[in-house]
Amino acid sequence: MSPGAVRGARARATGVAALPRPGGRHLLGRVLPLVLPLLFVALVWEACSRWAQTEEMPGLAEIGAAFVAILGSPRDLAGVSASLWRMAAGFALGLAIAVPVGLAMGRSPALARALNPITTMVYPVPKAALMPIIMLWFGIGDLSKVLVIFLGVSLPLLYHSYQGARSVDEKLVWSARAMGMRAAPRLVRIVLPGALPEVLLGCRVGIAMALITMVSSEMIARQDGAGELLFNALDMAVYPEVYAMILLIALIGLGLDFGFERLRRWLVRWSDTLQANDA
Amino acid sequence: MAENLIEIEGLRKQFDAPGGQSHIALEGIDLAVREGEFVSILGPSGCGKSTLLYMVGGFIAPSAGRIRVAGTAVDRPGPDRGPVFQEFALFPWKTVLQNVMYGLRVQNVPKAMARARAMALLDMVNLGPYADFFPKQLSGGMRQRVAIARTLAYEPRILLMDEPFGALDAHTRTNLQNELLGIWERDRKTVLFVTHGVDEAVFLSDRIVVMSASPGRVDEIVVVDLPRPRVRAELLVDRRYQDLVLHLEARLEVMQPSRTGAFS
Repeated sequence: MSPGAVRGARARATGVAALPRPGGRHLLGRVLPLVLPLLFVALVWEACSRWAQTEEMPGLAEIGAAFVAILGSPRDLAGVSASLWRMAAGFALGLAIAVPVGLAMGRSPALARALNPITTMVYPVPKAALMPIIMLWFGIGDLSKVLVIFLGVSLPLLYHSYQGARSVDEKLVWSARAMGMRAAPRLVRIVLPGALPEVLLGCRVGIAMALITMVSSEMIARQDGAGELLFNALDMAVYPEVYAMILLIALIGLGLDFGFERLRRWLVRWSDTLQANDA
Repeated sequence: MAENLIEIEGLRKQFDAPGGQSHIALEGIDLAVREGEFVSILGPSGCGKSTLLYMVGGFIAPSAGRIRVAGTAVDRPGPDRGPVFQEFALFPWKTVLQNVMYGLRVQNVPKAMARARAMALLDMVNLGPYADFFPKQLSGGMRQRVAIARTLAYEPRILLMDEPFGALDAHTRTNLQNELLGIWERDRKTVLFVTHGVDEAVFLSDRIVVMSASPGRVDEIVVVDLPRPRVRAELLVDRRYQDLVLHLEARLEVMQPSRTGAFS
């Protein structure tokens, strides 16, 4: 192989990163399209607030002050971090259970036939609506909330893992079998990486679901946490704090999604379908 | 005379469709392959030649009949039979080097040893400088070289090649045929090579199993009595090579469904 060809292939290898991003390479060009729509919403909000002159619609300054107050309150921050801890626990439980079950369903038509009716039935049920029942069984503590979050994230994780495992090229599995790899290691070392691009899409949906069920579970079982702060503020009609909490939850969601998207792209950097999944 | 390494007797494969209809892919296949022989399976598309190869590989089960490799009945895949697929089937999440090392690592060969052997094979197929690339960064011909190296790495007794050059352009195909022939003439592994290319089959093989379609049967077994090492430029002007190609093309021509069908 000539050195020229090697250089050509290397150029192709790095070419992916060198592709012009939408908005160009300048920081301003990349940040502006994100900030402008938000700025627009903020302006409309402020205008409405001034026009309506009601307590239920406080101005940006008031919301901002409440936001800063939350960030400065150790009790509030402890509540938010308790929420995040439960969310992480529920999500981890989903990863540990739903992903292997989904992958196994994708590889075993018999298992898929057995479990599909159950998952199809459970899918449309709002998981937070199960909270009162779960509280009867497990109390109002962390366990119930972690379980509800687990239920919330499980179905997208299960579904995408199932689809991912089904789409794994059979010849990859055959190649591994010919090398002498047995069924259990194949699931971990061939089916899981083969399904990974799809599994990670499920994770992205799962993170959003975890955030939603986290907040709603705390609305029902108010002990501590972001949802408790939000709905207590609502009950006590402290509106700036309500909107500040909503803003905080939205920013947490944005941050998690942004961080996860970075991780996802790095994990599937080998994949041909990386670009297609970017949309 | 050498012992038969692969023995196939009365092999039949039937695919059952969900509607209760069934399709007979292969019927009454008998074939024996000696150790060190290069045997091509040539036939029109739909004659079940790949199915036959997959059954020797142990990837799918026959409906009836027997396959024995080195005297033992085939019931699953094993490292004695290394497949090379048309679609390359490299592990996309592994680098080129990791792909070639993979079979050795599965068989618990120490990492340093597996690495050295994989690098030697990559050098053999002229891909040493690409060891740390991902498969998606390589061209089709390069990927197939990696796939061949990956299979050779764990030293299967038999190579099962399923139209390995079918997805490549003509120029790359010719290069890879030459490379494969070079490798084979050095270590004389037993090869079962599925193809629909007549000249490819004649150029590479000791014997060619010609198959007819629906159901797939062995139509004829042609012995390719051309001297080795073979050089393409010499073969092209060799009368025996030309006669074999013409004969096989005539056989395949007869089998083309379009010649007897409504559109002829």
